[in-house]
Amino acid sequence: MTTTTETETPKRPSRVTPAQLRDAGVTRRSRTARVKIRVGAVLTALVVLPVALADLLPLPDSTEQDLASRRLPPLTDGHLFGTDQLGRDLLARVLDGGQVSILIGVLAVLVSGLIGLAAGAAAGYFGGWVDAVVSRLLEAQMSLPLLMMLLLVVALFGPSVPVITAVIAVAQWPEVARLTRSMVLVEREKPYVDAARTLGLPHRGVLFRHLVPNVVRQTSLVVLLLLAQAVLLESALSYLGAGPERPFATWGRLISDGQDYVTTSWWLVTLPGLVIVLLVVGVNLLGDGLRDAVKGTKKGATA
Amino acid sequence: MTTYIVKRLGQSALVILLTISTVFVLIRMAPGDPATAFAAPNATTEDLAQIRTQLGLDGSILSQYVTFLGQLFTGDLGTSYSFRAPAFEVVLDRVPYTITLALAAVMLTAVIALPLGIWMARRADTGRETGANIVTIAAQSMPEFWSGIMLLTVFSVLLPVLPSSGFTTWSGLVLPAITVALLQVALISRLVRREMVSNLTSPYLTVARAHGIGERRLVWGYALSNSAIPVLTALGTRFAAMLNGVVVVEVVFNWPGVGSLVVRALETRDYPLIQATVLVTAALAILVQLLIDLLYPLLDPRVRLGKATAR
Repeated sequence: MTTTTETETPKRPSRVTPAQLRDAGVTRRSRTARVKIRVGAVLTALVVLPVALADLLPLPDSTEQDLASRRLPPLTDGHLFGTDQLGRDLLARVLDGGQVSILIGVLAVLVSGLIGLAAGAAAGYFGGWVDAVVSRLLEAQMSLPLLMMLLLVVALFGPSVPVITAVIAVAQWPEVARLTRSMVLVEREKPYVDAARTLGLPHRGVLFRHLVPNVVRQTSLVVLLLLAQAVLLESALSYLGAGPERPFATWGRLISDGQDYVTTSWWLVTLPGLVIVLLVVGVNLLGDGLRDAVKGTKKGATA
Repeated sequence: MTTYIVKRLGQSALVILLTISTVFVLIRMAPGDPATAFAAPNATTEDLAQIRTQLGLDGSILSQYVTFLGQLFTGDLGTSYSFRAPAFEVVLDRVPYTITLALAAVMLTAVIALPLGIWMARRADTGRETGANIVTIAAQSMPEFWSGIMLLTVFSVLLPVLPSSGFTTWSGLVLPAITVALLQVALISRLVRREMVSNLTSPYLTVARAHGIGERRLVWGYALSNSAIPVLTALGTRFAAMLNGVVVVEVVFNWPGVGSLVVRALETRDYPLIQATVLVTAALAILVQLLIDLLYPLLDPRVRLGKATAR
């Protein structure tokens, strides 16, 4: 191997063999990131696609009860996931619940991303009292008993989809805000900001037209990791009985309902849980891989 | 040092006051009347009004708040409606259980994550490390109520080796602690790995290696002791967070801690009990965090309190 490379490429002799290149840390790192992205994408699609297409799939209605076929084990009578305690098709219920759970997750992450981006960017750019207010808010929220407060608010305003979305968004904005703030702090010292100011642009224009586009890519990667957390948080709220109201069969509620039958009908808890795990692992891997890939290309340019 | 502690204590008191005030207002805006939960099933309107007066719920929110603050400073958090005992004492009875669970979970996390992180650091960027990394991510991605139920089913129903719920013997601690630790291992092992990699590739280690010091001592003696401080801080912070964050696991395992208490208090609209729980857990978590920040300069003399930016 080494002899052939030496003879065939005489103009640039190198003792680095392709095998060494393949095993070098840097290339391995980017390959790891690629593996993570691919596996993550596949797992995510495995859950999201059926959930999105739930209405088109040939499945029984998720609310259709059939007391004669209660708690059928998976793969009987065309019920891939079996049936629940009221004879409803579990797969249909999981996909139905997934629509609500994923919708809440995505909306919550969008809202928290926007709030976090705006607050973090303003704090980092303007400094002074804006920064003081935002930073104190971030600190205060870190020391709050978060889940208790979330349960409290849901108990107060009623467990509707907008309330739960808002509650999860409020729980998550600090993460985005802290990251955006630290990145804007670095970015605002760069010459192009001075240039834009010298050209007479108002602060708001500099911030949102020039600074924010430069940090939004990094932020959007964190948002992907937050989506995984949002799905978990929503399922925990549902499990504790503070999820969306009854007609929605969210994943957390499916598990809490099936818990009483776990010794006799394992699938009622196990399968919805596995679906959550599949989605969350997928999204986490995707976010992780993308973050590593960006870090690799930028070579630590963004701290 | 003293001024720093005083300043931090002042800030902590302010955050706690803010938290408890928010909770006070929120629960009084909530629909649902605690008097109905407190009264006999066939109570008349007059009975309900009388109960409300007894519970101090008849005034405006502001006047209730003033009374509440006055009582707060004398250490009186009111009487729990459902336990008919001082709310503060009801909560304090539960606190040791939550601390036990959090402590066990943190120790378990350390026992798993430290060797795992070191193992990953020594095989950084290999296929096997990626595999281990994916496994910890998977553990972190499990909803804790689900992994809890799964562990329960396997280890106390199918193979009845461990008790299913409550805290009767120490073995009851095993499953809840594992469930909580599963979520933390990914975070801590990744931190250990990062710290170890940066130490293992640093010049001082190359010098030590050139001096002929054995690989085992380089890893476990030199690199690990220099990685210890950030890891210990992170573990402490996780412990502080657990003091108010193990609600779900406590509910799954019927653990008699603060978390399951707060769920019950919310269900029965037990205002004094909700307030007392939030106050106690918030205060505990904040104090533990303060303690960690104070210990930091003792572990690492390079750190000066009040100088470094807040973490």
